[in-house]
Amino acid sequence: MIERDVVIIGAGPAGLACAVKLKEIGVSDVLLVEREKKLGGILNQCIHDGFGLHNFKESLTGPEYIERYVERLKKFNIDVLSDTMVVNLFQDKSMILSGPWGRERIRAKAIVLAMGCRERTAGAIGLAGSRPAGIYTAGVAQRLMNIDNYMVGNEVVILGSGDVGLIMARRLTLEGARVLMVLEKLPYSSGLPRNIVQCLEDYGIPLYLKTTVTKVYGKARVEGVEYVSLDDDGKPIPGSERFVKCDTLLLSVGLIPENELSREAGVEIHPITGGPIVNDTYQTNIDGVFAAGNVLHVHDLADWASMEGELVAEFAKRYLEGELSKAKRWIDVKAGKGIRYVLPHKISGERDVNFLFRVDSPYKNRYIIVRDKDRVIKKRRVINLHPAVMENINVKSEEMKGIESLEVMVE
Amino acid sequence: MFDVGIVGGGAVGSAIAYELSRFRLKIAVFEKEPDVCFGASGRNSGVLHAGFYYRPGSLKAKLCVEGNKKMREWFKLLKVPFKATGKVLLAFDEDEVKELYKLKEIGDANGVEGLEVIRGRDKVNQICPGAGEAIACLYSPMTGIFSSYLLTIALAETAHQNGVKYFLNCKIVDVRKENGTFKLKDQRGERYECRWLINSAGVYSAEFSKIVGVNGYKIYPCRGEYLLLDKALAPLLKMPIYPVPSKEVGGALGVHITPTVEGPILIGPSAEYIDDPEGYESTPEIMNKLFEEGYKLWPYFKKSDVIRSFSGIRAKPVPPGEKSFFDFVIKEEESIPNFINLVGIESPGLTSAPAIARMVREIIERKEKLLIKEDFEPRYLRGERFEELSEEEKERRAKEDPKWGEIICRCEKITKREIIEAIENPLSAKTLASIKYRARAMMGRCQGGYCMPKIIEILEREFGYKPEDFQLHKEGSWLFSGRMRKDD
Amino acid sequence: MTKEMICILCPNGCNLVVYFDEKNPDGFKVENALCPKGKEYAQSEILDPRRTIATSVRVEDGEIPLVSVKIDRPIPKNKIFDVMREIKKLKLKAPIRSGTILISKVAGTEANVIATKTVERVK
Repeated sequence: MIERDVVIIGAGPAGLACAVKLKEIGVSDVLLVEREKKLGGILNQCIHDGFGLHNFKESLTGPEYIERYVERLKKFNIDVLSDTMVVNLFQDKSMILSGPWGRERIRAKAIVLAMGCRERTAGAIGLAGSRPAGIYTAGVAQRLMNIDNYMVGNEVVILGSGDVGLIMARRLTLEGARVLMVLEKLPYSSGLPRNIVQCLEDYGIPLYLKTTVTKVYGKARVEGVEYVSLDDDGKPIPGSERFVKCDTLLLSVGLIPENELSREAGVEIHPITGGPIVNDTYQTNIDGVFAAGNVLHVHDLADWASMEGELVAEFAKRYLEGELSKAKRWIDVKAGKGIRYVLPHKISGERDVNFLFRVDSPYKNRYIIVRDKDRVIKKRRVINLHPAVMENINVKSEEMKGIESLEVMVE
Repeated sequence: MFDVGIVGGGAVGSAIAYELSRFRLKIAVFEKEPDVCFGASGRNSGVLHAGFYYRPGSLKAKLCVEGNKKMREWFKLLKVPFKATGKVLLAFDEDEVKELYKLKEIGDANGVEGLEVIRGRDKVNQICPGAGEAIACLYSPMTGIFSSYLLTIALAETAHQNGVKYFLNCKIVDVRKENGTFKLKDQRGERYECRWLINSAGVYSAEFSKIVGVNGYKIYPCRGEYLLLDKALAPLLKMPIYPVPSKEVGGALGVHITPTVEGPILIGPSAEYIDDPEGYESTPEIMNKLFEEGYKLWPYFKKSDVIRSFSGIRAKPVPPGEKSFFDFVIKEEESIPNFINLVGIESPGLTSAPAIARMVREIIERKEKLLIKEDFEPRYLRGERFEELSEEEKERRAKEDPKWGEIICRCEKITKREIIEAIENPLSAKTLASIKYRARAMMGRCQGGYCMPKIIEILEREFGYKPEDFQLHKEGSWLFSGRMRKDD
Repeated sequence: MTKEMICILCPNGCNLVVYFDEKNPDGFKVENALCPKGKEYAQSEILDPRRTIATSVRVEDGEIPLVSVKIDRPIPKNKIFDVMREIKKLKLKAPIRSGTILISKVAGTEANVIATKTVERVK
């Protein structure tokens, strides 16, 4: 069986950045596996701009962002196996690869999981009504339009105000479809504020908060939807049902880290993030199996996914060199009041950690506190906190000396 | 002129076509949908019933027990995924235990093998891990699970391979009998002729019977909704778990939890009389109810495990509130010779399909001698599952043909070759659902999020589909309103 | 006058509070901006709102049927659909190199339409 030092599964923003970084820091035996013909993952269909503001200090479109990495990939002559699916992943870090070239089992000393995420579907949200054609997840519609040159419909209702949904509202409008409304069951949008402005407000597309679709009409093709206002507990308000005629329903109702392979290999999955449970070296419960990008937790920016890939490259290198000493003990990081989740999930206390977290609802003028029981380790004032935006707070190893527990919270 | 015309290409219609294709007969199947498993045949629990629910001596009892045996042969010949799981009915109090004994008695009288009432929580949980607080169960070893839509497709395609002609998108709207010949007309005005006419129109059987000239039947559509749970839960459920049957809706078996051969777990069906024979909807009330009732029987899942909901429609011959037993109607109508009517074929119609087909054959044989076709091929020559091959074989094949290496559906690991085989199906069914049912793509966790655009690309590049050619399932279920950038 | 607005220049989406007097354009004051661009944005948004757009152009004989494009500088908001109309008319032959100017000064604006992806020729 062929054995490689590092195999990266998935060549999206995280996997690409990880591959480039590994080469930069001197790891020569790297294999990047990608199931599509083109590298870049979902960014190939994200033709809008707003990528790269952190990593390249300019606003790039998705394809341009990818191009930057692919150029460096070529420069470093990195081994890429595209058009190849990892069909099975095993605990011993072997895997079965399959593609038009054939099928083969290989093994890796270290694996970086960078498979990204998938979209939540109509079935998963318990959408009522019939199952006509014309119900698309926003990402699928994006691909069908931007890559395959199809129009998915003429009169569109969008359920869910995630970023992909907002971007698609603008995209469809520019291409001549009528986007009638965007419905969001929460009292706030789960998309970035800038997308609300430039994708909805610019085009006069109404966003109805605390509203959801209760029924889809149409047997063959969508003929309309019934929508309803929700009360503070998220329950439909009787009598508030309204009907809108449309031929297309786009769903932007969340992303789920794609961890079927990880599960198969025995990687433990976190119930909130849907991604692997990792320690402060971004290692999962399986030694030498790392995770980065949306497979670990859904990021709001591709830049962060790439940065995570680069960070993991450093840890993977040290793992290969045998320098990633096992921690004496692992301290579970607790997501305290106001926090939905924090990453990494376990820390040794021996290394600096940049904690990444998301809040559970919007807050204004609060403190982010990192503490060990009553001892405040770090405190930072924040003007705006929003569930759609990933936040971070840096803690140095000196600051964590002697801690017994660790909690991140909003106050 | 056909010897036999079969109206309705579902599991029963296609079973009849398959059975009759053994003989030297010219056979036609008329199916109003673009494919053969869009009705009840693709929308049910996929359970091979043992036959202990039905009144001894009834057609339902006899045909179910006979079908249960015959079906096992068919599964092998037709490569239909089947698991002999057995099944349990759980009783939670003494009244329900009494019902179990009653059912066992009925089952014994019907000739169902191996029925056993098991008492005591521990013993029940031994037979069926996860049975929880049940104090007793009726264990039925002859019950199993199978893929009902793959059965229907295999029957239809094998019948086709043996010379049966399938007319899809073909709704027979007018029938006249002249000089011993049935003259049929479809919705487009196309005409067909046959000597024997068989009504296996399922939920439309009463309506079609009327078209032929036999009044007096009525079908009451009764919707059953289902939830589908992620297959990650599959290891926790060994066999179908049923409650003691409800007395509310005549003959409905109650909400049960069933493993499927594909892995996902089914909860359902509900039972609700509706007007629309094709009202395939999911409703918020029933989805909640299924969740709750299912949870009572088997508390091992959560809301986020639900990957999909769907519904099917039972062809009930009894109106709401009617609790007495109604049997299948399977007979040659005296008023119209050579017209064989099949009405009210609800559960256990699927399990009974081979026996129903045998009965129909015998009805024909009473009048004429059927000659065996020497070159009849009983086996389904397609439908191989790449994922079920050994790893060595997979590697060998992937080397042989790049299309066996290229994985299109990541959730179910379906290869490009299997997708293409499904597209090139002998019935020429052209919808995306036809590919989904045959290749099992677009059915997993992501519900086509990954593979649907890839399948569209294959259809466009290798089969020349234009934007307007793409159809999800029913006629009119267009996918695209056109090109985003037009070529002219 | 006071106006609240969200800065859309980057994903930070700062909640700007803008104080201005329409008669005196120099009297702009902007609060809550994380960077100096916030003020520029607020000024432009009130006096001359502009946007960039990204879309696609038909490509023949390419590995995919479309090449993604963007305009290289913001255009007045009310020009968006004029620009779209121009872009929709364009048809190209593969190969297309990323960064190529496909239309210069589109629809009478100062902006150029630029390919953001490389599409190789397949036929």
